[in-house]
Amino acid sequence: MDKILRINMGPEGAPKASEEPIGQYAGLGGRGMTSAIVAKEVPPLCHPLGKENKLVIAPGILSGSQAAQSGRVSVGCKSPLTGGIKEANSGGQGAQVIARLGYAAIVLEGKPADDTLYKVVINKEGVDIIADNSLKMLGNYALIDKMKVEYGEDVAFVSIGQAGEMKMSAASVAFTDPELRPTRHAGRGGVGAVMGAKGVKVIVLDDAGMPTRSPKDVEKFKEANKAFVQGLRKHPITGEGLPSFGTNILTNVINEAGALPTNNFQSGRFDGAGSISGETQSDTMKARGGKVKKGCHRGCVIQCSGIYNNKDGSFLTKRVEYETVWSHGSNCGIDDLDAISMMDRLDDDFGLDTIEMGATIGVAMEAGLAKFGDGEAAINLLKEVGKGTPLGRILGAGAAVTGQAFGVERVPVVKGQALPAYDPRAVQGIGVTYATSTMGADHTAGYAVTANVLGVGGSVDPLKSEGQVELSRNLQIATAAIDATGFCLFIAFAILDQPDTFNAMLDMLSAFTGEPCTADDVVALGKKILDYERDFNARAGFTSKQDRLPEFFKKEPLPPHNTTFSVKDEELDQVFNW
Amino acid sequence: MPQKPSHNGIKTVHLFVEKNRVPAFYPLLSRGIIVKTRVGCSVKTLICNYLGLSADYLEKRLQTIFLDGKAVDDTETTVVQEGATLALSAAMPGLAGATLRRGSAYAAMRNQITHQNGTCGESTKDGTICLKLFNLVAADIGQSFLEKGVLISGRYLRDFFRSASDKIISGIRSGEVDGVRMNTNQIANMDWEQTQVDLKLEAV
Repeated sequence: MDKILRINMGPEGAPKASEEPIGQYAGLGGRGMTSAIVAKEVPPLCHPLGKENKLVIAPGILSGSQAAQSGRVSVGCKSPLTGGIKEANSGGQGAQVIARLGYAAIVLEGKPADDTLYKVVINKEGVDIIADNSLKMLGNYALIDKMKVEYGEDVAFVSIGQAGEMKMSAASVAFTDPELRPTRHAGRGGVGAVMGAKGVKVIVLDDAGMPTRSPKDVEKFKEANKAFVQGLRKHPITGEGLPSFGTNILTNVINEAGALPTNNFQSGRFDGAGSISGETQSDTMKARGGKVKKGCHRGCVIQCSGIYNNKDGSFLTKRVEYETVWSHGSNCGIDDLDAISMMDRLDDDFGLDTIEMGATIGVAMEAGLAKFGDGEAAINLLKEVGKGTPLGRILGAGAAVTGQAFGVERVPVVKGQALPAYDPRAVQGIGVTYATSTMGADHTAGYAVTANVLGVGGSVDPLKSEGQVELSRNLQIATAAIDATGFCLFIAFAILDQPDTFNAMLDMLSAFTGEPCTADDVVALGKKILDYERDFNARAGFTSKQDRLPEFFKKEPLPPHNTTFSVKDEELDQVFNW
Repeated sequence: MPQKPSHNGIKTVHLFVEKNRVPAFYPLLSRGIIVKTRVGCSVKTLICNYLGLSADYLEKRLQTIFLDGKAVDDTETTVVQEGATLALSAAMPGLAGATLRRGSAYAAMRNQITHQNGTCGESTKDGTICLKLFNLVAADIGQSFLEKGVLISGRYLRDFFRSASDKIISGIRSGEVDGVRMNTNQIANMDWEQTQVDLKLEAV
């Protein structure tokens, strides 16, 4: 993984691919790589859909090796949704295969002169860029079926659906899972629209004949990986909770806390939560012959995904994750798991961010386009997006644009990106991260280990009300670093609670790279990434005024606890003050 | 079919269920069961002394506890009052999950929904609470609660029958309502809306 593949879609004649040594980007991976390339090479004031923007696809530092949970991939660019820097993260097979092909990053550059659509085939022999207009306006599922016929099943695909081709700001980039279904998505920020603007419909990744990446210290790596896996398996969240109920284990609990945004953030409690909870979902999946646990990529130990079947037992979609159950469920007042799962399938097929689309439909419902609770109407709104009707184009542009188009005041976005599934009036510290993240509102931006493990920023008394800013800062630093490794963020629970598992992770990194890796190094990496991102956003015109939650969070009390967001602006401005 | 008169508007329902179908009833426990217990005591006392769970189970498994929708940090000083809702869960994923955990390092991030500790005297008295069992906790102890019998809203039972798959329904071998034997379809089609149900399961 010592080279970068650049594919210029713009030169006269035909697109061209070239390889170059990793050079100044050595040692970076995942979000570290995407944010460094975007910050250094993309003019911050360029149009996100123009030729100067770049789409960077980067596996993590450990991807392609035998390291457990190392299959995350980052997709970065200037975001058409936020106007700032973007890193969207995904599971699936893509990271492992790109890394085994030897690429630390694939960079799509330039812009085709016309609307020809291309497929890019990458294998050990090199790169083919092939015009193929027969792929136009195919959904991800139909596209992958067609590609499987041409390229077989021992490959991985990276693709866009209709939303990406239409350059919608809610468009995602899809990565196939081990069963070659396009169920894993780099969802946030409209990265699919940038891929569409580059004229690339699908990237075929074939690592046949390429070896698994080897660590510098094989024995130490093997030992550390074993300890790491044991740590994940013995932890109640990664070893029991997630494999049993998936991330949707959260619905009942967040609802009980009064933090489950309901009916476009009007309430923190949803009467129908029990009907869409992880517990009910698992029972339904079992009863219909689905699979309650499976990994989204090979080498996954946690196995939080699964298969959700239709009533007749046929495949509908993967186990719908908590964020989607919330966005298409309680946020739209819908308590029907089948309707929610159908919307998840449509999102995956059209290539749309489920969080953005659920939030958008919530705003549309508030505008009167459909009634809260009407699952069929919500599905029909989503189909408008897939068809690209004028209404669909507005919805596909995301919650902020939809709110503007229909005159809605309660629009839950930061920097133009929809809030995820936790109301910041109930869990205020998450609101600090939503407000200040370089990415726009993002629940994974401040997620991983905190001061107590990394020993940075001093310690915060857990039972004092102060400290939310400090916690958010440390969480954002740690998360940026984890996003660079290729590790799934869910390892955070085990490494947070179990120092031996945290040390095993550091040992793995160290044995793999041959360089010492300490907690301080992790912190330094996280800060470096955030510095790249903050610098890019500043040059793109962002100021502290964008680091704010929408006004209604400060003014409208959230039932049942009737709290408002009370962290002061001047406190928010201290998050990146290190 | 004649039925024995219900007591206090409560219908007793006794279902004989195939053992592997019992977990399908656990979501009922997450919606809330009415439990007669002693109140005015600490969360820990209620859980260990009156619900019969071990201190070890409380310490290791019950990582997320809500009292009236607010996160509990200290189970020894938080007092359960008459009519309270107590929800029990295992440790949760996600930043929010970590934040809501008992004594979490992230507790500051949810201080507005943290339960403020009361004064814990020993003036306990008979009372009722609403108990909710979520996720792994329901899987651990749900069957024993259901076998002893739980008091639930009839609406929850109605919703259960409406959404239950054919496999679940066929896994209910037989049942009794107020002591009268009925088949599953008859029970499923009764009007449960306005009643409370004393539900007891027997695994067969």
